[in-house]
Amino acid sequence: MKLDRLPWHMLIGMILGIGLGLLYSWVISPVSYSDTPPALLRSGFKDQLRAVIAAAYLSTGDIGRAQVRLALLGDPDPAQSLTMQAQKTLAEGGSPDIVQALGLLAAAIKQKDTTVPVTVSTEIPTQFPPNETPPIIATIPLDNTSPFPPETHTPATMISPTPRPTHTSLPTIGAPYVLITNETICDPSLPEGLLQVTISDAANKQVAGMEIIITWDDGEESFFTGLKPEIGNGYADYVMSPSVIYTLYLASGSDPAPNLYASSCHAENGDLYWGGLAIEFRQP
Amino acid sequence: MSRWVQFFIATTLGITCGLIYGWKLAPVEYKDTTPDTLRADYRADYVLMVAEAYQSGQDVDLAAQRLAMLGSDPPVGIALQTLAYIQQAGFSEIDLARLRDLALALQTWQPVSGGGLP
Repeated sequence: MKLDRLPWHMLIGMILGIGLGLLYSWVISPVSYSDTPPALLRSGFKDQLRAVIAAAYLSTGDIGRAQVRLALLGDPDPAQSLTMQAQKTLAEGGSPDIVQALGLLAAAIKQKDTTVPVTVSTEIPTQFPPNETPPIIATIPLDNTSPFPPETHTPATMISPTPRPTHTSLPTIGAPYVLITNETICDPSLPEGLLQVTISDAANKQVAGMEIIITWDDGEESFFTGLKPEIGNGYADYVMSPSVIYTLYLASGSDPAPNLYASSCHAENGDLYWGGLAIEFRQP
Repeated sequence: MSRWVQFFIATTLGITCGLIYGWKLAPVEYKDTTPDTLRADYRADYVLMVAEAYQSGQDVDLAAQRLAMLGSDPPVGIALQTLAYIQQAGFSEIDLARLRDLALALQTWQPVSGGGLP
């Protein structure tokens, strides 16, 4: 075919038309998303949402509802996201209440996931009552490709079981905790000067969300259990500086653990390094 | 048919293809949205969360700061709008009571300067 026989005017018209169409549909009048789901929120707003979810959980103790809400954020591992946010908040000097709430919720989810298998296949029922026109937030699909609630009616026969209770021990008012173990740890695989604290209740279950206060000559800091649920719900750690002597106690009441410091340890090759401490508190 | 007519037919066809592609096949994807664009039921659930959290600490300032995330409307207005919404949606009495408590507290609340969300 000769070039001069091509319908250039039609090709140019087509290309021009497609360009105009795309300009209008992508730039001038793009699809409007006024009814967005929480999963599309900016990360800062997601953090705020997680903090409020955790605070609401701390108030109601409703782990089922908290999990449904967290699922809407689309985090691949909600417990991990909560833990990371708690650590970030702590590092940034944020509110201890929020840190505690995030840590407790992370620990509760972790515990629930390991002890109670999820048996629902497509949807998580919530606490919202079934009725003729249930709120759309009453269900969320578990399918990762479409993590948002359906736009329209939820089946009226939906059951709303009460979520099973979590086995995570929460801090309670009771007898003051007693220091039962204070051991020097010489393990070169651990960070130098690592102070490991474990807190258990009277039933010997580890307790998340406990505030631990550590003081030294001219300073004081606090940290919380439950931020490393992969080690233990009642576990927390702190890195001690060499040649500083610390005293540690629990904010909710405990024996003080005085004279804590990093001892020197010998490695197999004879080198010296700073060891750590392992401390355990238990409620009598 | 003149060349101009053919040109305009081709252009119209191109515009149609462009619009179908831009609106249906590959629409603009939004991410990093703000809370004021949330769908009504998600907004209502957020306000309910704030009301639940308010139950334990009774901290009206904190609750008002949290509601401010939803936009520039007064916190009490947001709470009352949500109350009306969840009444229609058939939420439980407990949820209604929590939200009523918050709305009541916000009606007498006076904003303080400074502060931010924890």
